[in-house]
Amino acid sequence: MTITVRRSFLAAFCFVLMTSGMLLASETASAEVPTFTVGWSVYAGWNPYFYMQKSGILKKWADKYGIAIKVQRFDYAASLDSFVAKNIDACTMTNMEALDMPAAAGVDSTVLIVGDYSNGNDAVLVRNGLTFDKLSGQRIMLVQKTVSEYLLERAMVLNGQQAQLPKLHLINTSDSDIVPAFMNNSSNTTVVTWKPLVSQILVDQSVHSIFDSSKIPGEILDLLVIRTEVLNRPDGSGAKFAKAINGAWYEAMQKLTSSGATQTQALKISASASGDSIDSYREQLKTTYLFAEPKAAAEFTTGTLLKQKMELVRQFCFKHGLLGKDIKSVEDVAIAYPDGSVQGRKDRVRLRFNPIYMQAAQQGKL
Amino acid sequence: MATFSLFDIQARPNRLFAQALSCLLFVLCVGLYIQTSVKRHQENSEDRVVPNARQLMTGIHSSVLEPAEEDDYVAPDNASKWERLHHSMIWKDTFASGRRFLISLILLAPAVLLALHIGLFPYFGAGFLRFILFFDKIVALSLLPILFIVFGIDEWSKIALIVIGVAPTMILDVTQMVKAVPREQIVKAFTLDANDFDVAYRVIFRQVLPQVINSLRLNLKPMMLFLFAGEMIAASDGLAYRIAIMRRHMGMDVILPYVLWVAFLLYCIDLALRVLNRRMHPWFQS
Repeated sequence: MTITVRRSFLAAFCFVLMTSGMLLASETASAEVPTFTVGWSVYAGWNPYFYMQKSGILKKWADKYGIAIKVQRFDYAASLDSFVAKNIDACTMTNMEALDMPAAAGVDSTVLIVGDYSNGNDAVLVRNGLTFDKLSGQRIMLVQKTVSEYLLERAMVLNGQQAQLPKLHLINTSDSDIVPAFMNNSSNTTVVTWKPLVSQILVDQSVHSIFDSSKIPGEILDLLVIRTEVLNRPDGSGAKFAKAINGAWYEAMQKLTSSGATQTQALKISASASGDSIDSYREQLKTTYLFAEPKAAAEFTTGTLLKQKMELVRQFCFKHGLLGKDIKSVEDVAIAYPDGSVQGRKDRVRLRFNPIYMQAAQQGKL
Repeated sequence: MATFSLFDIQARPNRLFAQALSCLLFVLCVGLYIQTSVKRHQENSEDRVVPNARQLMTGIHSSVLEPAEEDDYVAPDNASKWERLHHSMIWKDTFASGRRFLISLILLAPAVLLALHIGLFPYFGAGFLRFILFFDKIVALSLLPILFIVFGIDEWSKIALIVIGVAPTMILDVTQMVKAVPREQIVKAFTLDANDFDVAYRVIFRQVLPQVINSLRLNLKPMMLFLFAGEMIAASDGLAYRIAIMRRHMGMDVILPYVLWVAFLLYCIDLALRVLNRRMHPWFQS
């Protein structure tokens, strides 16, 4: 009896020792290669991340710099939550969310890639030829506190209807149900949303677009953002990641904008990321201004235009309380630009635009 | 007198100890929260995911004493606390959600009566029971696009969602209660010259009513869940609307007080129903 008990103890002990040994071994193995996780969500300008991963481009570049990069797909809101909670290292988001989610929550963030801007992807759609001066009092369906509301507000301002803004009757509608909710009831007159939902709604002949983001170019930017502390890791692995992801991104861009079979393949995989057909994806890309060349992206990031656009966005965020109840002044969430200038208080820089790696890609130094 | 160890069935903790024990998990949760919050704030003093006491106070203050962002109301300088509360964000949202909740609660009454008939009258049972058994298994949320067509995107689609989600379950539950009343009672009532109405409403209904109220108490939470789902999908006011909006920029300082407020409201409704039940039916032993 006692002997068998002892034996089983011994066996259990050995088992524990072995498994812990194995765990340790695997841990040290993974500790040798710094691993980075990139979160992305479905959008015409971000689908190429899926292509980068599928085609092996990403692995090629990660191997070159001796790191590992994982790409994980999220719902948009969930990806932002994970990024703010520091569960992932880098994440795709618009300039507006970069400001009001991580930056406003005190997570110092750096923009690594300025991928594209919405050049018609977001639109204000109305039924029966309604115009901006008649919008007050109408029910407007949109996902509130997102670029949709930003677009609507800019549209009203640019059409001289700023005074009507407080009178708009906004209905916060989840993007998963906005299409059927709008289309099934002709008493809903106005909706603000993005592609491919816009295309689905425009099937209805009585609906047409009265404003879209091509009229405010460069204001709705789609970015890849990394936590600054990760980028500036003392062991230099963050910088390696920045180089690898830029290298992979611009190789993917080049394939995507080339011609022939390579391009078709790239388009096909990118389209499949969101379950779109190639035609539908091509149509979305038409209204997405891709900075396909690193030169264009770097020039936009270092230019003065960016500051003007970001000024509009940060004022919008502050006015709508998106920076949080604690933030009493728009200057308290500051943005730093490549030329060293800062929008807001210098001691409270939370969002940084960093063109170094895009420039390195431009010069072929990756 | 025998002494019992701590975990015996017959052990009797004294009153003070029992009270302390019942608070233990609350204290533990609050402690864990504070620990997480302090830790996160050490790393990042502006953390919004787990707000600290000061952030929560700001959030509570702005939701209880300041008007909602979309309202134009500007409180006069000498406005009393009550007046501010009356125009506040949380008041507005509670009122909007409460109205939807109450209307659906009222609409559940016909469902209970229908259940009484299904359980008691064979022709009703034959006509309705199978369909409701089937309908009960349908996930109401997936019907939402249809609800939007039929009821529009305003109040009625949300109320319909609650009623469609909860009513079948309640009907089945109440039908079971009605069927559980001994057949002998019905026969006895008829021999005492009762008519159908007497048997249904004066014998059966009064007997099952306390159980119906208990069933309603259990269904409060599903009702709230459906209300939240509806308000998160399309709304311009309401408690869940605010939570959905606040989520967009991680306004946990407002979301947490809202969540606790909803829990408190539900607890109050539940308590009210329990007290009402005990007052109305002192004979009922649940």
